[in-house]
Amino acid sequence: MTSLRSARVSAKDEDAALELLFARGWTDGLPVVVPTPARVEAMLAFAGGLDPDVVLGAVGPNDGEATVEKVAVNAVMAGCTPEVFTTVLACVEAVTDPVFNLAAVQSTTHAVGPVVVVNGPVRAAAGIASGTGALGSGFRANATIGRALRLVLSNVGGGRPGVGDMALLGQPGKFTCCLAEAEEESPFEPLSVSRGLTPEVSAVTVLGGEGPHSVMCLPDEGGGGADRLLLVLASALANPASNPAHMRKGMNLVVLNPDHADLLAREGLGRADVQQRLFELAGNGRGELRRYGGSLVPEGADDDWLPVVREPADLLVAVAGGRGLYSAVVPSWGGGPVGNVAVTRPVREDPACVVPQSRLM
Amino acid sequence: MQFARSGVPVVVMVTAAFAEQAAFVARAAGMPGIPTVTLPHPVAGSPAAALDALAAEVAPRCRALLEGEPP
Repeated sequence: MTSLRSARVSAKDEDAALELLFARGWTDGLPVVVPTPARVEAMLAFAGGLDPDVVLGAVGPNDGEATVEKVAVNAVMAGCTPEVFTTVLACVEAVTDPVFNLAAVQSTTHAVGPVVVVNGPVRAAAGIASGTGALGSGFRANATIGRALRLVLSNVGGGRPGVGDMALLGQPGKFTCCLAEAEEESPFEPLSVSRGLTPEVSAVTVLGGEGPHSVMCLPDEGGGGADRLLLVLASALANPASNPAHMRKGMNLVVLNPDHADLLAREGLGRADVQQRLFELAGNGRGELRRYGGSLVPEGADDDWLPVVREPADLLVAVAGGRGLYSAVVPSWGGGPVGNVAVTRPVREDPACVVPQSRLM
Repeated sequence: MQFARSGVPVVVMVTAAFAEQAAFVARAAGMPGIPTVTLPHPVAGSPAAALDALAAEVAPRCRALLEGEPP
């Protein structure tokens, strides 16, 4: 006898159950794993010590209650293994922090969704990819962590296209967008450490972001390569066709491939230095910006410099991907009072060893 | 919505493209009848003069709703 509280629906077999889930609008458009009580119970045994009825937060825009059990249901549907469940839970805690402003992320007509960067020991324990193609297809942990979060946003938060999710076009990152930082390849401290945690603590950093925009720069040292790389990244960050260039609030993410990170480090630049240099370079003159934005650009002198964010720390820098020519910029949404702000949350450790007492009875 | 819950008269202003979402959120919050004024879409990025004109147009209706006129 199960103690699950979620509403039940019945179907004659697995195929019929899947079609029922499609018909109810409970999938992301792709087939899901049918969340039978047994599968949900099995996932809940790996909740890092949390009981199923613990409320992680309210999921906007409809303020649905994200209990551990509800998250487990969606994690099963997403195809998660138990090893990634605590990472999914941390993601839900991050996006339901009021600082994340999830209702706005879901409701904007802009095309943003949660972008997850994972740090710490859980990367290896859960098999979360950080290297070549980490944001592409082929990595179950990456794919299912982001997908589980998306299903929570849709099924618990009501973020369905045209109703709770008002993105005019949307983007593929709304299916899933999760990678680990390549800490072992990075010359910098882990992203989570730069945001106040210690290296041995696993963590997720989640930002409402667009899909990654690839930027190209030959990582040579001889010809001022570091300066050119910073210019290339800043140019992409300040793209005058983008939302952040005009709204100029919130945070944006830069994902450096390890060669590009090394190039900057060899010039003596740490993460904070890179953030500072990018902050100085990433912006537009008011007059130039007005050519693109018209009345979006506030009145003022044409030669005013308008940085794309408010301060250097608003430009997050992570290291991931294969070595080579390409890094990426992940723009966000700068609307509302503060725009999209990243939230970092620790992942509960050693899930396999921390089964809540209630699950053992 | 927190104002509404605490008994303060409120009116929701929402552009036409968000009307369905506003109704959905209002239902989820348990206040499906919350007074609402629907604005043309989009409003974001409109010049100040256009915003002034829109405000003048909808202000009487907002005031009436705040004073208790049935939605």
